Amino acid sequence: MIVASTTYEAVLLALKVAFLILLYLFVWRIVRTAAFDMRLPQESFILQPALVGGAVAGPPIPAGRLVVVHSPVLEEGEEYELEALPLTIGRAGQNDVSIDGDEFASARHSRIEPRRDGVWVHDLGSTNGTHVNGVRIDRPRKLVAGDVVRAGETELRFEQ
Amino acid sequence: MSNRNRELLYLIVVGLLTATGFASVYIADQSRISGGSLAYALFFFALFLAAHLVARFAVPHADPYVLPIAALLAAVGVTEIYRLGPKDAFRQGTWVVIGVVVFALALLGLRRDYRVLENYKYLFGLGAIGLLFMPLLPGIGLSVNGSRLWVHFGPLRFQPGELGKIALIVFLAAYLREKREVLAVGRLKDWGPLLVIWGMAMLVLFATDDLGSGLLFYGIFLGMLYVATARIAFIAAGVGLFLAGSVAVYQTTPHVRERVLNWIQPWTTHKIFCPLSGAPALRQDCQSYQEVQSLYSIAHGGLGGTGLGSGTFLNASGGQIIPDLNTDFIYSALAQELGLIGVAGLLLVYMVFTLRGFRVAIFARDGFSKLLAAGLTFGFAFQAFIIVGGILRVIPLTGITLPLVSYGGSSILANFLVLAGLMLVSNRANAELAGAT
Repeated sequence: MIVASTTYEAVLLALKVAFLILLYLFVWRIVRTAAFDMRLPQESFILQPALVGGAVAGPPIPAGRLVVVHSPVLEEGEEYELEALPLTIGRAGQNDVSIDGDEFASARHSRIEPRRDGVWVHDLGSTNGTHVNGVRIDRPRKLVAGDVVRAGETELRFEQ
Repeated sequence: MSNRNRELLYLIVVGLLTATGFASVYIADQSRISGGSLAYALFFFALFLAAHLVARFAVPHADPYVLPIAALLAAVGVTEIYRLGPKDAFRQGTWVVIGVVVFALALLGLRRDYRVLENYKYLFGLGAIGLLFMPLLPGIGLSVNGSRLWVHFGPLRFQPGELGKIALIVFLAAYLREKREVLAVGRLKDWGPLLVIWGMAMLVLFATDDLGSGLLFYGIFLGMLYVATARIAFIAAGVGLFLAGSVAVYQTTPHVRERVLNWIQPWTTHKIFCPLSGAPALRQDCQSYQEVQSLYSIAHGGLGGTGLGSGTFLNASGGQIIPDLNTDFIYSALAQELGLIGVAGLLLVYMVFTLRGFRVAIFARDGFSKLLAAGLTFGFAFQAFIIVGGILRVIPLTGITLPLVSYGGSSILANFLVLAGLMLVSNRANAELAGAT
């Protein structure tokens, strides 16, 4: 019995040490890879205060404007200036480009987002999809001047 | 290595860790080596493997570390709860399964665009109040240990405040995203809905005597307000109000005064009146008994701990020394069995989770996602601080669960939703980052 109990004690000690080693190995490995992440461009998790006053922080964002090409509700040739903040398109009134009356558009349809690396279009989970030059996008897409974005039956041309 | 393969690798490490911990508990308890512990670890591994496969399908670009970290914390929790009482462990295990199912449903349901949640912000705000208010309703409300925090439907008991926390964070993220510009300049009418919902939450928490959650909600509110407006003045005002409020509450509420006394002076050398027995007693034998026994438990663990399964939690007559050991005081149980080295490692795991969460917030592109990730992470970290700080006498003790470790179904469920939220936000941010290059 005495022999048996010392064996168990040895096993328990080994398990205790193994547990602690595994625990620290786990933490160490994650922290080490996290240190590599720091090479990626850093931004704060605090929302940019500069955006509050409407001013642009950092290098100027290459914005542009959206021109209505065709729409059941908006007037042709109408222009929307792209500034630092993203612009949303959809049927609901809260959108920057509200297309209430376009039956094929969703309430929140697409978002045009100026970033430091260019202007991007995102689909916001709309029913009929967002199209760029006639092709439905399945991931955010960077726009170049002259691209035509279609949400529902509304077509907007991106110009710089 | 892709994000999901990395996640799988870390989950395997967690599986090994679970097997080691559970084997230790089992051998110490039964004095024999058996395959039972291995089966348990395998079950746990299979459960999180299922979660991993759902993540592989629904959020392929999500942060690879948060799921293994959550799995590790849940495994440590269930192991320690099993060690303290196998029956509770079975129920906790069931809740972890339910938590993983809810996690999977949240990922699948919101994988295309979780930002639709933004459209229902007032529903979330009112929902948070409703959930917090539920325990006060006659019929379904239930008092446990003097705090009215529970509701029951037949045999099922639930603490709705935990889910209320998530709903409030979603509301705050959506509302602050929309109004942060005008809030920053301080227009009073925009503060209205924010203060009404938040004030009601604080009132309900006060009515239910849930000081821990009150502190948590207050902290989350201030933290998210800072993230949204970057105005340090708001935080200073918030902290000032908190201090003023604390002094007022201290002077008017006897049980808050008792908590503070237990914190500053848990030991007395002469007998004082004990309201529990009605007779004079030392404070460590009466009001601060729980805190003091928990400190003894931590001290007994020393540097290396007694080893999982070998700690002392029962007195000579077989009664439990520390009440609420597997919920509020699970940290003291772990500190005894894992030692300073072990619980320091556990706190590091919480810190790494927080680190990853804030990283998700940093890389998120839009305001709602940033606020959501920062709010969920801050809530998780602050909750761990409140309970561990309370046990270690850094702050007065207020009962609240240690996220993902403590016994309690609602807490497990809520924290799996935190995990789902962080993975959804990081999936979108990482996918956009990958698409940009």
